Amino acid sequence: MEKEELINELTIIVSPYAQDAEALAHIQEDTDFIRDLKINSANLVDVVLDVEEKFGIEIDNDSMARMLTVKAAIRIIEEKLAAGAGK
Amino acid sequence: MLPVLGNDVVDLKQASIDSNWQRKGYLRKIYTVQEQELILDAEQPATMLWLLWTMKEASYKVINRLTGVRNYSPLSYVCRNLVIRDTDVSGMVTAGNYSLYIKAEITEEWIHSVAVWKKELLDNLKIHYLSNSSYYPDDFNLSCAGYRLTKDNTGLPQITNLHTSMTSEASVSHHGRYAAILYPKSL
Repeated sequence: MEKEELINELTIIVSPYAQDAEALAHIQEDTDFIRDLKINSANLVDVVLDVEEKFGIEIDNDSMARMLTVKAAIRIIEEKLAAGAGK
Repeated sequence: MLPVLGNDVVDLKQASIDSNWQRKGYLRKIYTVQEQELILDAEQPATMLWLLWTMKEASYKVINRLTGVRNYSPLSYVCRNLVIRDTDVSGMVTAGNYSLYIKAEITEEWIHSVAVWKKELLDNLKIHYLSNSSYYPDDFNLSCAGYRLTKDNTGLPQITNLHTSMTSEASVSHHGRYAAILYPKSL
């Protein structure tokens, strides 16, 4: 999947939780889920679960721990998809 | 001694709107098996869930200040020694090599937890509750004459005693209808 496509999918996932519409409209790789999009930390787990469901992957705790930005999320999704494809 | 403090408030009504903790996979991403049992066996599972959440979140703020590390790992913050007497809660949270001391308050409407890294600090806390709005720092400065809430050069909240000119770090949390500001009583 292309990076741009991944960002589009992520944007759809984070939209219901993002509290900063301006930051959401300008989402890019460096966007921080909490600092920029103002996602409540109690809802970050929903983003993780939605990503798991959307991409059919399992995000382990170490990966979840670093999933604070769009860039980190993309890297994790790509890693998990690649690992799944290699099975 | 560095008065590193952390706090977290949850508006229970807001939380019930924003989060569906019964969704598949939710509990085990955030809570240990023992914590899940505490939640599911509680008379009011949602209240127990948000109590444990605020304990973890307040503790994260302390460790984040001590280490400078940002991450999202609520599962590695383990709630222990929970004692609940009416509305007052005490307990501990351990995370890696750290042990934090917790004091919390539960009401019908909100839960507020405080975490400190030295037990003595629990006796040196002042908590100021406010209505949440984008003006809550101004509201604090108006209602607490003699104190001024600002941010330090790294963006962390701090409070200055205008009479002594002493400044100390503070911890601020806001959610839904509530805001809570925590600072050392000795300031």
